[in-house]
Amino acid sequence: MSGDSLIPVLTPAGPYAGSITMLAWLLIAMATAVLAIVIAALWIAFAGSDRLKSRLGGSRTIWIGGIGVPVVILTVLLVYGLSLTRNLTAPVPAETMRVRITGEMWWWRVAYLDETGQAFMIDANELHIPAGRPVLLELESNDVIHSFWVPQLSGKLDMVPGRRNTMPIQADAPGVFSGQCAEYCGGPHALMGFVVIAHEPADFDRMMTERRASRTPVLGTGAELFQRTGCAACHRIAGTKANGTAGPDLTHVGTRRSLGAGILPNNRGTLMGWIGDSQAIKPGNRMPPYKMLSAAELEAIASYLEAQR
Amino acid sequence: MRTETGFDHSLYDRFPTSDPRPEGELEELERIWCAPKGWQLLTAVNNNYIGIFYVGAAFLFFLLAGILALVMRVQLALPLQGILPQETYNQFFTMHGTVMMFLFAVPMVEAIGVLLLPQMLAARDLPFPRLSAYAFWAYFVGGLCFFASLFFGLAPDGGWFMYPPYTSLTYSPGINADFWLLGIGFIEISAIAGAIEIIVGVLRTRAPGMTLDKMPVYAWAMLVLGVMIIIAFPSVILGTLLLELERAFNWPFFDPTRGGDALLWQHLFWFFGHPEVYIIFLPASGLVSMMVAAMARTPLVGHNLIVLAFLATGFISFGVWAHHMFTTGLPNLSIGFFSAASMAVSVPAGIQIFSWIATFAVGRPRFNAPTLFLLGGIVTFVVGGLTGVMVAMVPFDWQAHDSYFIVAHLHYVLLGGMVFPMFAAFYYWTPMTSRHPLSERLGKWAFWLMFAGMQVTFWPMHLTGLMGMPRRVYTYLPGREWEVTNMISSVGAFMLAAGVLLFLIDVARSFRFTTDHDAGNIYDGGTLEWLPTGLYSARSIPVVKSREPLWEDPGLAEDVKAGRYLLPGSATGLRETIVTSPLLAEPQYLQIMPGPSVWPFLAAIFTAGFFILLTIQAYTPSFTCGVLAVVCVLRWLWDTDRRVKEVTVDAGAGVRLPTYVTGPSTHGWWAMIILLIVVGMIFVMALFSFFYLFGVQSQFWQAPAPAGHLAIILPAYLAAAGLALLSRRMLAREKTEHWTPGVLYLCAAAALAAGVGADMWSWIGSGLVPEASGQGATVYALLSLEVLLVGVGVLMACYLCARNSRGMIVRPRNNSLDLCVLWVVYAAAQGSMTGVLTRLVGA
Amino acid sequence: MLTAGCEASPGKSQHMAQADAVRGKLAIERAGCGACHDIPGIRWPKGQAGPSLQGFGDQGMIAGRLPNRPDLLAAYVRNAPATLPGTTMPRMPLTPAEARDIAAYLYAASARR
Repeated sequence: MSGDSLIPVLTPAGPYAGSITMLAWLLIAMATAVLAIVIAALWIAFAGSDRLKSRLGGSRTIWIGGIGVPVVILTVLLVYGLSLTRNLTAPVPAETMRVRITGEMWWWRVAYLDETGQAFMIDANELHIPAGRPVLLELESNDVIHSFWVPQLSGKLDMVPGRRNTMPIQADAPGVFSGQCAEYCGGPHALMGFVVIAHEPADFDRMMTERRASRTPVLGTGAELFQRTGCAACHRIAGTKANGTAGPDLTHVGTRRSLGAGILPNNRGTLMGWIGDSQAIKPGNRMPPYKMLSAAELEAIASYLEAQR
Repeated sequence: MRTETGFDHSLYDRFPTSDPRPEGELEELERIWCAPKGWQLLTAVNNNYIGIFYVGAAFLFFLLAGILALVMRVQLALPLQGILPQETYNQFFTMHGTVMMFLFAVPMVEAIGVLLLPQMLAARDLPFPRLSAYAFWAYFVGGLCFFASLFFGLAPDGGWFMYPPYTSLTYSPGINADFWLLGIGFIEISAIAGAIEIIVGVLRTRAPGMTLDKMPVYAWAMLVLGVMIIIAFPSVILGTLLLELERAFNWPFFDPTRGGDALLWQHLFWFFGHPEVYIIFLPASGLVSMMVAAMARTPLVGHNLIVLAFLATGFISFGVWAHHMFTTGLPNLSIGFFSAASMAVSVPAGIQIFSWIATFAVGRPRFNAPTLFLLGGIVTFVVGGLTGVMVAMVPFDWQAHDSYFIVAHLHYVLLGGMVFPMFAAFYYWTPMTSRHPLSERLGKWAFWLMFAGMQVTFWPMHLTGLMGMPRRVYTYLPGREWEVTNMISSVGAFMLAAGVLLFLIDVARSFRFTTDHDAGNIYDGGTLEWLPTGLYSARSIPVVKSREPLWEDPGLAEDVKAGRYLLPGSATGLRETIVTSPLLAEPQYLQIMPGPSVWPFLAAIFTAGFFILLTIQAYTPSFTCGVLAVVCVLRWLWDTDRRVKEVTVDAGAGVRLPTYVTGPSTHGWWAMIILLIVVGMIFVMALFSFFYLFGVQSQFWQAPAPAGHLAIILPAYLAAAGLALLSRRMLAREKTEHWTPGVLYLCAAAALAAGVGADMWSWIGSGLVPEASGQGATVYALLSLEVLLVGVGVLMACYLCARNSRGMIVRPRNNSLDLCVLWVVYAAAQGSMTGVLTRLVGA
Repeated sequence: MLTAGCEASPGKSQHMAQADAVRGKLAIERAGCGACHDIPGIRWPKGQAGPSLQGFGDQGMIAGRLPNRPDLLAAYVRNAPATLPGTTMPRMPLTPAEARDIAAYLYAASARR
């Protein structure tokens, strides 16, 4: 929903995507040139001078145009492509920040990992990274196959249940980069968006420290309703009794740029609308509607969630 | 070589004969080959009828799937439209892909082969006409039922390649996925039947003298097609079988929590799926080669290179499948190999493109409707091939995969490589099968609308993909300008549809099916399909001396029509054609062909009924249909393998041919061998699944069943093979009682049953159950395959005993017995391998 | 489109000078009003948690208690609790200009029918 670049694959924001973009331009140039040659050859074959036609009309044309030149071009491209593949999958330094992203139907579970591989902070549908440094993503799935794709930062990688695929990403400068699930996963697959937010390293460190600091739980009607209505069965808010893992972690939901996995803006009204009846917005998603809640109750829960930063 | 079978080539010099033909010979031929009328048309088996039904049915599915696409394009023209709710759209795109790939593209290329190949080879029909009829009706009825699932909201919604776990029971609890698995599963039977016909047809029913290098290049393409089908299709047959077993009985092939793997499906599917697209492209490119030569009025430049290109494409295409899996996390080494192979496979395509260019340059091409479609197809296919090279480059594929860039690529290669050539073929070959040709004027309009529409629809999709839009989305959010390219694409789709509509109008106005008063050789083609024909194909079967016989001998058409070549009438009073040797096409024997028969039609209806009723879980009606289908097939087979009273006949000018032969040179033996290759490939893919799951999830495996039990299992299988071979040997001996071969075969089938029974008992005793793990699932799947083979063997034993009791198993050699013996020997071999290999690995 | 507002319901004027219904639609999308309301001309989302706004221009009252007038509507859209204490609609992150544009859009969209 953010207004980012028009052609993300051709406007990379980091080195991994950038090297792919360079390859893309080379390939586009090659393809254009070859197409032009073929069209020119067809033109000559039909409408060219007799001299040109006779030069074209022999098996030499096939040997050169069909075998010789393609083999040369393809070999060069193959070598380039394979070495780039190797570079893109080269191991990152051991101290690289690691984040485990788990695909769910139809949202993303984001867990920031510490050096031992334990998740110290859990979020959903959004990833914060420091600019200028690589971040290693561990991609998994809890149900069906999904695919993580933020084109301005890297190519895509599938999230296959039973496997863990890893991929580094890096943004050169602060910015907001959006993406979308790229492997059909049924239902509202079309509404499964993601966003990566890159910060200045100092800002990033400060944000993480703030978030990791122990928090005083917010009290009030909203908090009570959150427990009483059963939200805690599926959602977790760190520092409270709510410890459900079936749905997105709501510890920092107030800071998110969007709701519903990138499909709604985040404000008190949309929170109320989503909780009240998310099926009308994202049909088939796993959260049931809460039509029994009155508008006042919805507003209480929504303000409670707004405060979860 | 001088001679392949001992046939004396100097006999060819007797043709064309000069004596006048006897009175009434032609009328007799026409009477024997008379087509059934009215409702009896359902019983027609001749390739002219089956071919045209087949082409018509395939085109109908093209239109139906195209309409689905038009609705999808209306939905996507603007963001967030709700014309189709999410669930319906997901079914629409699944059906669009599935119907186009399985019910249109492959059937159409096979259908054109059914219609065209016998004509081009001057054979009177395909070698197994009732098999074609069965294959067609099963496909048509099954396909319609499958498509109808849309109207009940029961259409599959997993995408045309149906990846688990989404298509496993947990996430697809309805019967929608079963429609795909069972519906498409049995349509693949049609494709395999077609492949058997085509391989045997191309290799064994060519006109005498048509050596391999004089064979039209389209026949080469179809030969490679047939071989590719029998190697590739078993993989998807096995895959659909495994997924259905997982859904129905909870056998965990694809469930990683119990030792399965979601990627196993992808390997199985794409091992089929990539060759599938070349299965679609190669015959179309074969047609293009024929048409380019005809339009340029000159022989094809680089004919041998093109043949090599077909063989190379066919071969290499089996080594590229994992390029559909570049984003799944495969190891770099595999990725590198598949990337290299994927780039290599574009070279043979390039050979063909430049051969066509060179041919146009040498000749004097005409700008008519066929040529326009050819040119449009070539340019479009080149674009698609180039984007194919782009996505063969792994890092670029990591951006393009599963986005609209790929949607653009695949439509460019499919429309350019198959659909435009198909329309060219329609315009070019209609005069062969219709009283009037299609209209040149309408054809040109149709072309320009289709070509322009195609570019307007799919070119912007390259950009849409680079803009980040994934495929298979029922809508998209505004704000990223995706609506601009999507709207353009949607407008283009309707232009394309308008072109197709014009074509339909042209067909309605001009096409009038005929088998004997066709419009003639108006484009002056040089190959044999342009001979004057009746339902019996050519009046007499010519001796071929060059690749373009009609150009080399302008009097050929007249001579053939006057009956001055082989088989100018019917030698036995029945339908016949000549079977020739594979390399030099020397006449070997006369094949007696069947006339119209209701049994293949009924068998097809009941087969379709079995599968469709199984899908909707109406088990009793389903099994009833299954039994009836088997009964109809047996009744049809009962009419086969009959001797006629003439042991040899005069096929023309004193050339004598036998009417009944047995052994490895018969077309029936070849068909059985090809079928066994198909079964063998299913077995190979099942073994692959077994070892693959062991490789990735061995922590779930227990110790295998005791190897000691092989001491019971292997001798049982050995006995089965031995008894079967003995039955054949005993038939040849003078002194044998007439019931001995049947009884021996029955014992062989019993030994097979004992073998698989012992293996099954051994595994059950080891405590392994199929639901337990990937090991359980694959072991019992292998055993189930063997049980299936044994079951067919038992059926064959009963059939042979019945024939035996009627005195139809005549010494010294009998085709029915031989073919059934082949089956038992193979089943014994597969059973033995199952027993040994499953005990090789475990905890 | 704005002239459609002149085609007023009997006795009411819903014409809003210097308010742009087109910008109003964009503001609706940006703020996510559709999460709660079914709004004419907004294809998605058609939220069910709040009342439908189809035919809103014909309604005499906003939320059953406030006269349906452009100035009041704009104030309500932006800060409902302050404009009508006790109402169930929350405050929305909109500038006053956006709120007026949204009001103009709501009138224009329902008058178009």
